[in-house]
Amino acid sequence: MFSTFKQDRTYLTQKFRKDVCDPVTGLDLNTLKERLKEFTEPLVGESHTVIKAKAFEYVTKNVQIDVNPHDWFVSFGCWNRYDRPLNYLLKKWNSVVDQKHLSEIIPLINEFTKSGAVAMWKDFDHSVPDWDAVFRLGFPGLRKRARQYKDEREQSGMLTDEAKIYFDSIETVYSAILEMLERFHAYALANADGNERVLSVARCLKTLIHGAPTNTYEALQLIYTYFVFGEHIDHMQVRSLGNLDRILYSYYKKDLGDGLFTEENIREFFAYFLMQWGSINNYWGHPLYLGGTKENGETEINELSYLILDVFDTLSIPTPKIQLKINRNTPVPFVNKAMDMIRRGHSSLVFVCEPSVKRTMMAAGYSEAEARTFDITGCYEFGPRACHNSTAGAYLNLLKPLEWVLNNGSDPATGVAVGLETGGVEQYTTFDSFYSAYIRQLGHLIETSIQYVTEAEKYLHEINPAIVLSASIENSLKTAKDAFSNGTVYNNTSILCAGFGTLIDALMAVKEFVYEKNAVSLRELQNALKNNWIGYEKLRLKVLHSKNKFGNGIAAVDTYAVAVASFYAGKINLRPNARGGFYRASIHPARTFITLGEKTGATPDGRMSGDEMSKNASPTMGMDRNGVTALIKSVTSIDSAMFPGDFPLDVMMHPATVQGDDGLAAMRTLLNAYMEKHGIAIHFNIFDVKVLLDAQKYPEKYESLQVRVCGWNVRFNDIAKKEQDAYIRRAFNICE
Amino acid sequence: MSTTGIIFDVKRFAVHDGPGVRTTLFLKGCPLRCLWCHNPESMLVQPRLAYYVHKCLHCGECVSVCPTHAHALFDGKHAFDRSVCTACGACEEACLGSALKNYGEAISVDEAVQIVIEDRDFYGEDGGVTLSGGEPLFQMEFCCDFLKQLKALGIHTAVDTCGCVAWSALEKVLSVADIFLWDFKHSDREEHRRLTGLPNDLILENLNKLVECGARIEVRIPLVPGCNDSEENLSATAKILKKLHVERVRILPYHALARTKYEALGMKNAIHDFSPSEPEIVLCAVDIFRSRGINAE
Repeated sequence: MFSTFKQDRTYLTQKFRKDVCDPVTGLDLNTLKERLKEFTEPLVGESHTVIKAKAFEYVTKNVQIDVNPHDWFVSFGCWNRYDRPLNYLLKKWNSVVDQKHLSEIIPLINEFTKSGAVAMWKDFDHSVPDWDAVFRLGFPGLRKRARQYKDEREQSGMLTDEAKIYFDSIETVYSAILEMLERFHAYALANADGNERVLSVARCLKTLIHGAPTNTYEALQLIYTYFVFGEHIDHMQVRSLGNLDRILYSYYKKDLGDGLFTEENIREFFAYFLMQWGSINNYWGHPLYLGGTKENGETEINELSYLILDVFDTLSIPTPKIQLKINRNTPVPFVNKAMDMIRRGHSSLVFVCEPSVKRTMMAAGYSEAEARTFDITGCYEFGPRACHNSTAGAYLNLLKPLEWVLNNGSDPATGVAVGLETGGVEQYTTFDSFYSAYIRQLGHLIETSIQYVTEAEKYLHEINPAIVLSASIENSLKTAKDAFSNGTVYNNTSILCAGFGTLIDALMAVKEFVYEKNAVSLRELQNALKNNWIGYEKLRLKVLHSKNKFGNGIAAVDTYAVAVASFYAGKINLRPNARGGFYRASIHPARTFITLGEKTGATPDGRMSGDEMSKNASPTMGMDRNGVTALIKSVTSIDSAMFPGDFPLDVMMHPATVQGDDGLAAMRTLLNAYMEKHGIAIHFNIFDVKVLLDAQKYPEKYESLQVRVCGWNVRFNDIAKKEQDAYIRRAFNICE
Repeated sequence: MSTTGIIFDVKRFAVHDGPGVRTTLFLKGCPLRCLWCHNPESMLVQPRLAYYVHKCLHCGECVSVCPTHAHALFDGKHAFDRSVCTACGACEEACLGSALKNYGEAISVDEAVQIVIEDRDFYGEDGGVTLSGGEPLFQMEFCCDFLKQLKALGIHTAVDTCGCVAWSALEKVLSVADIFLWDFKHSDREEHRRLTGLPNDLILENLNKLVECGARIEVRIPLVPGCNDSEENLSATAKILKKLHVERVRILPYHALARTKYEALGMKNAIHDFSPSEPEIVLCAVDIFRSRGINAE
């Protein structure tokens, strides 16, 4: 039953990439989708929540399943996250909302989106259940608790039609979940053919049908099945598998104490568990986190924290990704272990500094306990555990307002007037007047985007009611409101941005070359950008060669970084959103530093049209030339408390710098210095430029070479040449 | 006005120049001429311009800023006449390809202190500032004043020296250097002369005295194939160091020579090629010291 991981790995890798289910158990995906359409058509007119709950039930009853002897975890026919059965419903309801409620503002936003000023969609990608409740209660307990809340309301005469729909949909969905677990159970028993493992899976399912998990394996099966029910059927991304070392520690200790499992068995469960997401292989990586601090000030790091890292290390997969909640109390051997993995290229790890997050959250009004026990979600975002949801409302392109300044409010590519009329280039006679125009245009971008997001978020629950999630969040049950819309205690919205560092470089280039050195007029510069620097190659080289770049510890440059960051954050933070929560500023772009870059023309910092821009609080790739201490100095000159959304930094170092025990100590010193300066998240790429160049030439030699992108890792071979080149540009500056 | 020194580089987040994370200031000038020298730009105190021809864009920006017409463009190609170059550094900033680098900048002690203080937050518990070179004690007054200021600020200090200086220089910095990184090249007097240009009498004498004074010393041996990596030399070295009770010996494997730097500096004639150290030889060398009870790595 155990020691089989090697031979099962091929099966596990394929599990979420092709059909592995038993065809006799249900409908294939295409038929399922067609029948589901037929099934939901007569329901038109009913509340979306009701329709969704029934559709959920239809899927759980009819989708193909499998319990495979190669796996410890069950298989669902709806494995393909790009083709989920309820897709069409959500798409339909999204356009209904657009037509019914947002038609006035959509034309302007379409122009914004088309020109690359902003990337936005109604975000259902960042839900995190109350994992402690899920573990304590199990699926049946969650259903029972919802029933109790419904009864209370009924008895006090508070059960409105809306509340009734809310509770009934939870009843439908959680009953459907339990029935589906029954299906798995029956299938396992019928097809075990004496296979010990399949029989073990059946026993595990039986426990989960009747209550909470009782051991480590059952707990992992619970996380996994909750994830698939939530993400693949209920269409709400489960953006953290939880604080695994803290949550699972009691099960782990008990299992070892009782002799139920050996340490080796548990390692194997984790290998199979982590491989589920290794197989799903979403480019953004799937998060879980370790560590933190207990109420008494002790670290949450325990033997299981090491075990999980260890297993992850052996798998050599870029996803899931692991966030490490670090504090001054985090044991040195644990930090060393993580640092050692990172320097060997197993770098899908990010350090999130607890004291800095705490300081930032308390500045946003959270209590001490909320600010200490925060969940880490998505890439490195954070929010109080079990009482918070946060959407990514909009990703703003910070370079677009600069294009508007140079073109009097018009987008240079589409010609459409989307910005403000701040005047022609001749009117900016001083850098101050140029800068003021930029700030006005940036304000316009922020205001317009927030106006749209505020409208759009009024209807999140009409597009995608979060039924699975709601049952896990106690405040949602108390208020009978959708947990992802407005039913948690804090229903917040992040406004994110791309190109911060590049913007600062661009402003500094205008200041230096147009206004200080008079090397070029603003009119000529505009022309150079229009021509993508063709005919202006020497000017471009001069600009690129200039010292005035963000990330080099130059006070005169960093002053502008602080100013723009403060303006941006000040415009966003704590403004009320449409869901009873508030907006929060984030400096993280996800993939938009590439996608919005593609829609942005050449910029004064020397960037070519269509090139990527900087990401996170980091400088433009290749422009930090003064080493890592100057980099951290520049970045932390910005007060991270202004970024309750998140504040991450990317660091690249040469392998020779971090070799040996001295190297580990140096990495730790760096992390501590960043933490002391209130930096929030930090992650590393340890590269030798020679290796990257060789990998570009001979990809077959570097199948497992990973690079950290934004909040996730990818295989170097899987990214476009242009993106590879950006890493190589940066690595050229990193010396031994 | 504080004392002025000539430096050629500042290395931040240096992890191989003494304990912890450090900022290393490289001073120009050295009494030795080691055949394997990695920092040929450090040999003379005077500034010297390096021209990295492979990076040159032949853009001509340097031509217009050079006061002595050392740079010229012929048929779109850059030509550099070192004989008239005064190493003023004007061309370095103008150069668009980062092909010109002027090694040697006058800097006051106050300015140097400002530079290293910027990184103070990164020194942690063990780290600090290292003076290296060249031979830093070649600019003894600057070293002394600089280290005094650092000690007054409570910053850990290290001096990376070849030891081939007047004892008075070492004596002067004794109270303000927390640790000496002592580069030990060869145990034999004549071999030392052949490899570095000078015999090792003064070096050994100074090392003895420094030990007697109770200074903290880490001996560093650059292991250069065919020069000083013979078992005979290493055993003899170990014997000397054992007697002196030095705290730690660190073997520094030899990497490929900084050939492009020599060429860029117009010092082609000084190039001596050695192959990089074999990992096994490095391990053997470490063992030679360890087997005599010396803390080596």
